[in-house]
Amino acid sequence: MPEKINTSLADKSGNIDSFADHYLANEQLLNLLESTNTGLWERNIITNDAWWSPKFCELLGHSYGELELSYTFFINHLVHPDDRDLVYDAFKNHLRDESIYKVEFRILTKSDGYRWFESSGKAWPDENGKLSKMIGSITDIDQKKKYELELKRNQFLLAETNKIANIGGWELDTDTMEVSWSQQIFESDKMPLTSKVEINKALGFFEADQHKTIINAVNDAIDFCKPFDLEVKFRTPDSSITWIRTKGIPVVDDHGKCITIRGIFQNIDEIKTKELNLQASLDLLGDQNKRLQNFAHIVSHNLRSHSGNLQFMVNIFDEDISIADRTEIFTNIRSISESLATTIDHLNEIVKIQTEISKELKPVDILQIFKSTQSALDSNISETRAIICCDFSECPIVNYVPAYLESIFLNLLTNSLKYRQPGRAPRIVCNSYWEDGHPYLTFEDNGSGIDLDRHGEKVFGMYKTFHKNTNAKGIGLFITRNQIESLGGTIKIESTVNVGTKFTIRLV
Amino acid sequence: MTLLENIKTVCVIDDDKIYVYGLKKLISIKQLCPNLLEFPNGKEAMDFLVNPENQSALPDIIFLDINMPVMDGWDFMDHFVKIKSQLGKKITVYMVSSSINDDDINRAKNISDVSDYIVKPVSPAKLVELFNLAA
Repeated sequence: MPEKINTSLADKSGNIDSFADHYLANEQLLNLLESTNTGLWERNIITNDAWWSPKFCELLGHSYGELELSYTFFINHLVHPDDRDLVYDAFKNHLRDESIYKVEFRILTKSDGYRWFESSGKAWPDENGKLSKMIGSITDIDQKKKYELELKRNQFLLAETNKIANIGGWELDTDTMEVSWSQQIFESDKMPLTSKVEINKALGFFEADQHKTIINAVNDAIDFCKPFDLEVKFRTPDSSITWIRTKGIPVVDDHGKCITIRGIFQNIDEIKTKELNLQASLDLLGDQNKRLQNFAHIVSHNLRSHSGNLQFMVNIFDEDISIADRTEIFTNIRSISESLATTIDHLNEIVKIQTEISKELKPVDILQIFKSTQSALDSNISETRAIICCDFSECPIVNYVPAYLESIFLNLLTNSLKYRQPGRAPRIVCNSYWEDGHPYLTFEDNGSGIDLDRHGEKVFGMYKTFHKNTNAKGIGLFITRNQIESLGGTIKIESTVNVGTKFTIRLV
Repeated sequence: MTLLENIKTVCVIDDDKIYVYGLKKLISIKQLCPNLLEFPNGKEAMDFLVNPENQSALPDIIFLDINMPVMDGWDFMDHFVKIKSQLGKKITVYMVSSSINDDDINRAKNISDVSDYIVKPVSPAKLVELFNLAA
């Protein structure tokens, strides 16, 4: 369209003096143009004289002829100060390399302040071939521009918010099973910014043990339109592990079919790591607390029985009794004091196990410890004609406290010999192995066994004895358990009366 | 102190020798009862009770400890509930233990055949009271 005007202008350029005249002369064309809400302008590049069409004036809220016919006036008084350079640069570039002149800038209107306009135009040469004038048009783009700016601002705000919250978005097309994700995921999680990735390939970004959870969640979302909210371990391309929270919401079509899953992807590594640490501390504390409580109970119970007896004897002493009785009671008091000392020694031993946090773990040769323990019990073993087999080849070395392992073997061996089934030579089998990354020991005998239905809970308790054996003290297994648990291990017992007993120990 | 005529035999089931000695001594000082049976665990006491030969020697009161090897106080009560009707005699059972654990105390109180739960040591006055209650 402007081409035509320009052509007509060029035709008449020779005999028309003022800008206005040749526009107004072609009234029909002008009317047509002005009816499109487009204002026309012309500027003499050399003199900076200008002409503003009636519509141009109207768009700025002026009546025709009210505006000074000067480009200098226009640029200095009507164009927004911040946009002057922009307008000027566009003009300069256009003259230099004929780049398209099309600028969006703010112009001061008569009563409505600055409004956004788009101005475009073209420079034309005079008869000498020199660029002498520029002709162009303006349109009011205020509303559009404001929406655009608002959108930009919102996008910026969203991007910033996402960045601050470490959130990105993703979308899964359930038809193609392809996933795409936002710039934010690319930035914060160092994901490659490819357009779409097949879900199985995307799954590869997660730790192997998380795949099942994710697949189930996605399948549930697709099949049952069930949203999900997961915390999963994500492996960034540089192979570091990051905790991610991902929520997915199914988008359902008119037929109730899930066509897309849309979701967010939030980096929660810091908070999750803290949570896990906190949970670990809590577990540790809970565990310690339980053991402390248990210990307090043991202390109270075992000291109470002695103090009770002492009080008992003292009470009787106060009664009207004979000298002989007094001597007898004193013998008892002495005996109580000895038991009390022994109990306190035992308790001390337990306290030592519980509090020796800085226990030195070192590689221990299990076989060597076993053999040395065995030789310490040599006379008992030959006396009972026990047969002892061991195989530590699957796990020969373990990081442990040597003294504890020795004590564990000593207690278990002693027990097996002590509680052998009468009329049967003890057979003891001890093995070590690895399972799920933990070293294990099993210790099995063919002794008299114990009724776990009756005594199960108490086997590892303090001063719990179950047989008529007079040298049973009920301290061995209690210490064994404490030693094992203090190093983070566990001990389990299986037993059948008259058949034998098997201990399974997870060392660490 | 007068001898309670209807309490002729007392039974102590406890593996704590000193406690048994003390109880025995106190009973004789207070002249509470002429005969005393003692067993180091529930099993031996149960064997005695169910043996028909001992029909005439059955105790009137049993002082029962909780923590004992072989058969503890709870196991003893399980058996006692089953055999008591065959004994042909009312026997008062007191559970006596140094345990102040609420679980133990409540458990004992919930056994109808246990007349009372006494925390060791038993004072002379308390012992007399227990005898009078059983008489």
